[in-house]
Amino acid sequence: MNKHEHTRRHGLVLAAASLLALAGCGEKANLAPAQQMGENPPLPRPKAYLLPPMKVPDFAGWQGDARPQVATGLQIEKIASGLMHPRQVLVLPNQDVLVVEGNGPGEEAITTPKQLIAGKIKNQSGKGGKGGNRVTLLRRKPGGGEWDKFVYIEKLHSPFGIALVGDALYVANTGNIMKYRYTPGETKMSDPGTELGDLPSTVNHHWTKAMVASPDGKYLYVGSGSNSNAGENGLEVEYRRAAVLEVDAATVASRVFASGIRNPTGLQFEPQSGKLWAIANERDEIGADLVPDYLTSVREHGFYGWPYSYYGQHVDDRVRPQRPDLVKKAIVPDYALGSHVAALGLLFYTGDALPQYKSGAFISEHGSWDRAPLSGYKVVWVPFANGMPSGKAQDVVTGFHSADEKHLFGAPVGLAQDADGGLLIADDVGNVVWRVTGARR
Amino acid sequence: MNSTSQASRSSITSAIFDVLDPIPFGFFVAALVFDILYVETFTILWVKAAAWLVSIGLLFAIVPQLINLGRTWFARGRTKALAINFWLQVAAIVAAIFNAFVHSRDAYGSMPAGLWLSVVTVLALVIGRIVLAGDRVNYREYRHEQA
Repeated sequence: MNKHEHTRRHGLVLAAASLLALAGCGEKANLAPAQQMGENPPLPRPKAYLLPPMKVPDFAGWQGDARPQVATGLQIEKIASGLMHPRQVLVLPNQDVLVVEGNGPGEEAITTPKQLIAGKIKNQSGKGGKGGNRVTLLRRKPGGGEWDKFVYIEKLHSPFGIALVGDALYVANTGNIMKYRYTPGETKMSDPGTELGDLPSTVNHHWTKAMVASPDGKYLYVGSGSNSNAGENGLEVEYRRAAVLEVDAATVASRVFASGIRNPTGLQFEPQSGKLWAIANERDEIGADLVPDYLTSVREHGFYGWPYSYYGQHVDDRVRPQRPDLVKKAIVPDYALGSHVAALGLLFYTGDALPQYKSGAFISEHGSWDRAPLSGYKVVWVPFANGMPSGKAQDVVTGFHSADEKHLFGAPVGLAQDADGGLLIADDVGNVVWRVTGARR
Repeated sequence: MNSTSQASRSSITSAIFDVLDPIPFGFFVAALVFDILYVETFTILWVKAAAWLVSIGLLFAIVPQLINLGRTWFARGRTKALAINFWLQVAAIVAAIFNAFVHSRDAYGSMPAGLWLSVVTVLALVIGRIVLAGDRVNYREYRHEQA
């Protein structure tokens, strides 16, 4: 009997120890987001978890006249609401605004037990809302208030990137680039459009195809995100993934312009240097403070590490087989934005209406499930000088979640500058487009 | 409760146990084989398959383990071998629970810990079965006693 008591106690100790170990892994960040901003961010040692750091606020939306907070000297207005997961905004020459509404195609097969559970947790926040698979046109009403809405293009397939070159309007679906003839003034696109060329669309772990046209309009640059977090779907599905693709708009010939960029979600040409820049989302599940998302110039033929390494030669041990030859030449990104901020929008501001933000980049941070406390969920501004970042990022638009981090009102994605120099922000959780301008004096 | 209903309940319990108990054992052995294949080939298929085997194996283990618990501690005719087997089963299940979480890591992130947890799980179950086999005579007697 005594012996049995003894073994029973051992069993209890074992059970208690395992419970403690499971509970102990919901770990929190040690670094403040600002500490991992800029050049050469501190990178703690990677960790392996039983449960990675997780925090997902519950969807609340914007109630009544609630709106995000803006920095001193600014005001914010709602110019459209009731949209279906607005992701990108494009200002047309006649000041109409196109809003791309889309979300993931939901085509990724469930191939691990983790995906069954993780999908449910992540969608609590409203980020999984149904996409409209369309483009909506917004036109300013003379009397003020919310702008008029017109359904402009329908039946798209998880669209994200959009670009206008002359009278050619390009829309990047998850699997192709559509080309439409743009006629100013129309409230419904009269051209049925043609498929310019296809884009990588198997698996679609990351589905967004960010897109920007070169200043001369000859090339389209497309961000093709990785098909996994860190190579866990096999490296054979990463063909033309985690890359910036260059598409010749005339011949439709395309090539990998730069690679190893895990998820390039925003592409823009920096106005002073004329160079291509990208924002990118780095990998998850090796720490609340790893790996910082980044803003970087994109070098032709450059390799930026994914999946083998990050920030140069920091090897990710989860990836096999490793490629030391590639790790050796991995480029360190120019500017860290902080871990798990999930940068999804990039805009180099050139307007005069917000002079304090001239010469710099607005970046919208959508926020991630893989960090506690939350990080991102705001629009920041990174100053630039001589074509390079020149200081710490400043908060511009905040207040997308409640102060206790339990409720999510909205989340910023695409950014654009309108003819008056106002900053347009697509908010795909609040289903709103916001417009930030200078405060009335 | 009369002895006939007790006997039939016991044989139904035995049937359920005999049908379900080999399933997690087989799943965990297969998970170990797949883990070895993954470590040797880095082919993702194997480690994803192992993750399913560990998780589903745990689900299948719930009912037979509860029956095992009742048999070992609450039925007449407890033996030392039954007790040893019970604790080995507990060790295997605890290792498999950890293993399910470890196998949720991406790609080689689950290794080598996942492989070792698979080894521990299978070893514990194998030793438990060997211990019980040595005790087979007593075990039969115990079942007769129940009937």
